[in-house]
Amino acid sequence: MKKYLIFALCVLATAALFGCTPKAQPQSNSPTEESSSKEPVPPVSAPAGNKDVILATTTSTQDSGLLDVLIPLFEQKTGYRVKTVAVGTGQALAMGERGEADVLLVHAPEAEKKVVVSGAAINRRLVMHNDFIIVGPKEDPAKIKGSRSTVEAFQKIAKAKALFISRGDDSGTNKKELELWKAAQIEPKGSWYQESGTGMGQTLTIASEKGGYTLTDRATYLALKKNLSLVILLEGDKSLLNVYHVMQVNPEKFPRVNAAGGKAFADFMVDPETQKVIASFGKDKFGEPLFFPDAGKPDIY
Amino acid sequence: MTAVLEARDIVIKKGGRRILSVDHLAVEPGEVLAIIGPNGAGKSTLLTVLACLDLPTSGAVFFHGRRVTRANALAVRRRLAVVFQEPLLLDTTVLENAAIGLKLRGRRREAEAKARAWLARFGVGHLAAQQALTLSGGEAQRVSLARAFALEPEVLLLDEPFASVDVIARAGLIQEFKSILSSTGTTAVLVTHDFREVSALATRVAVLFDGTVQAEGPPEAIAAHPRWGALADPRTASGAGSGGCGWH
Amino acid sequence: MDLVVQGLVKAFRLLLSGDPEVLEITLLTLRVSGLATLISLFLGVPLGLYLAVARFRGRELVVGAVNTGMGLPPTVVGLWVSILLWRNGPLGMLGLMYTPTAIVIAQAVIALPVVTGLTMAAVQQLSPKLRLQVLALGASPLQFWWIILREVRFGILAAVMAGLGSVISEVGASMAVGGNVRGYTRVLTTAIVLEVSKGNFDMALALGFVLMVLTYSITYALTIVQQRRRRW
Repeated sequence: MKKYLIFALCVLATAALFGCTPKAQPQSNSPTEESSSKEPVPPVSAPAGNKDVILATTTSTQDSGLLDVLIPLFEQKTGYRVKTVAVGTGQALAMGERGEADVLLVHAPEAEKKVVVSGAAINRRLVMHNDFIIVGPKEDPAKIKGSRSTVEAFQKIAKAKALFISRGDDSGTNKKELELWKAAQIEPKGSWYQESGTGMGQTLTIASEKGGYTLTDRATYLALKKNLSLVILLEGDKSLLNVYHVMQVNPEKFPRVNAAGGKAFADFMVDPETQKVIASFGKDKFGEPLFFPDAGKPDIY
Repeated sequence: MTAVLEARDIVIKKGGRRILSVDHLAVEPGEVLAIIGPNGAGKSTLLTVLACLDLPTSGAVFFHGRRVTRANALAVRRRLAVVFQEPLLLDTTVLENAAIGLKLRGRRREAEAKARAWLARFGVGHLAAQQALTLSGGEAQRVSLARAFALEPEVLLLDEPFASVDVIARAGLIQEFKSILSSTGTTAVLVTHDFREVSALATRVAVLFDGTVQAEGPPEAIAAHPRWGALADPRTASGAGSGGCGWH
Repeated sequence: MDLVVQGLVKAFRLLLSGDPEVLEITLLTLRVSGLATLISLFLGVPLGLYLAVARFRGRELVVGAVNTGMGLPPTVVGLWVSILLWRNGPLGMLGLMYTPTAIVIAQAVIALPVVTGLTMAAVQQLSPKLRLQVLALGASPLQFWWIILREVRFGILAAVMAGLGSVISEVGASMAVGGNVRGYTRVLTTAIVLEVSKGNFDMALALGFVLMVLTYSITYALTIVQQRRRRW
């Protein structure tokens, strides 16, 4: 009878071990063929010390696919392995504040400054921007199309009590949205204002299904557009710029931080070659770039 | 002659209540000692202690004159065998069930041959390859008896072994059991409430009542006793002892 | 509806083409969840056996905790394991955060109460007198546990299935402690979440299909063994 038990254990063990064998060096073959053919840079020998760099970033950089292009490039160049933890900006900044990440790539300028002032992050540098847009159903029940400013559009939505889906997750986009409500002198409350508590992709899907308005970054919207019945109703307002900064987590405050790795990634993000890649990212798929490189420009944010 | 198994000054308490108090009870070699008494008299508890499955709160059981302790209980248990009211067979084949005791003792080589022989003797040899849990109640209890005899125990302890066998099959099984018992000369302790089993099998009877041994003697003497004789009479058995103690 | 068809078509294409990344994610999922289930078995089965038989003060508290743990939200487990494994946490010096090992730990924690609880329940379904009978047969303590283990083997098989099912399909803990790092800690469930948020619903469906096929085949193999001995 024990053979049954042994057989069952074998099934499990095979499952566990089978998964084990072909698992050699996880990232060794990950840089895409494209990048290695474009750039005949020989892989740099592995840096001394900690090879792992923890990047805390926002979901938008991951969901748009930008990191899938940049990270293999970085790993190929430097020999580091990047552990990308894509979360809301709130959580990404909190990870920095607790020293649980090495480098941050986020888009919430006001909150970022606080983290720098607190001493948790250093060397904050401008990387790129894209912009926020207001999307909604084609019928545009609150008639916000043609508004002169975002503030005006938000006031119209509130007045018409038209459904608005907020992320409500303390992300960069959520913070931006709350700033805009404040500027419009409206306290968003009531059944027309719903918080999804999820990421941008999910929130867009919900808005699309329910026929509501929402504030989104352009990149995520373009990436998801094919599944959405939402159109752009407002864009181009200066207050809608979505600016990304890269910051290193302060190794003096958190001794376990991979200082060299964090710095290497931050430097990589503002490197002219990387900036070129950012400028062209998305053109082939969406016909327009998703991000605009800003490194070296005066940082007015 | 020293007793094979002997209980001295045994007290068992459960939850602070004294449920068993036996000053002295001995099992002599070759005898079949029946322990009778109403439900709740402590018969099964006494058997558990005699089988060295439980140590008494105070007092001790002696095996061949040696005190049974926690340390040597396993060694003593391996020279005894117990059959309970339910067959309690393991979820495996009949043969494996009958052989398990010897295998646990490390006697693997002889285990299956002995098991087969004893299964045959209890008339269930043809079921050897079958799964134990597919047996009928009567068949299962025969396997349980064969399992105990395969161990060739120095004392065989039985707790109502025929109670779960249906009435029609019971008489036959008791007769077979009796002939096997006498042909092997096995020493046995039989807990029962059925005096017909007592008269058929026992050479001596101990009456257990309210947790103490109230009388000991040959079956005929107990049957003739003014108070305990009622236990032997199936018509009055239910009223035996102080009123209200029912038996089943 | 065409999305479902698209998803299935994509799933078949992925499976047939042997997409290396999907293969890697699938193997990692198997490895991580299989290992976690094995660990939970080695800890949970003895614990379940012990809890079923032992009598000690506070046993009810422990049993209650096990039963509650069977419904423990993976996200909560993920949070607790994160707090322990974070660099600045008590076990930070091990450097396990965002590694497959971290996922194994979290998943083992999730599966442990399931395995323990089901093992305990299986033992408690045995006749209480069987304990005495096995001892009376002359079993040493070790032999005793081995026999009891054999008696409840089908219950333990059910525990394996439930344990594996609970970890291979969970996402909260894997996401929290693994970080969904591409090529390193990305398992099927976290990959599905990512593909959904990227809007690649067909890819998400395809991965979901892979996950279901995987879970089904393992469970099916175990079920065959279990049902071979059905008595009903």
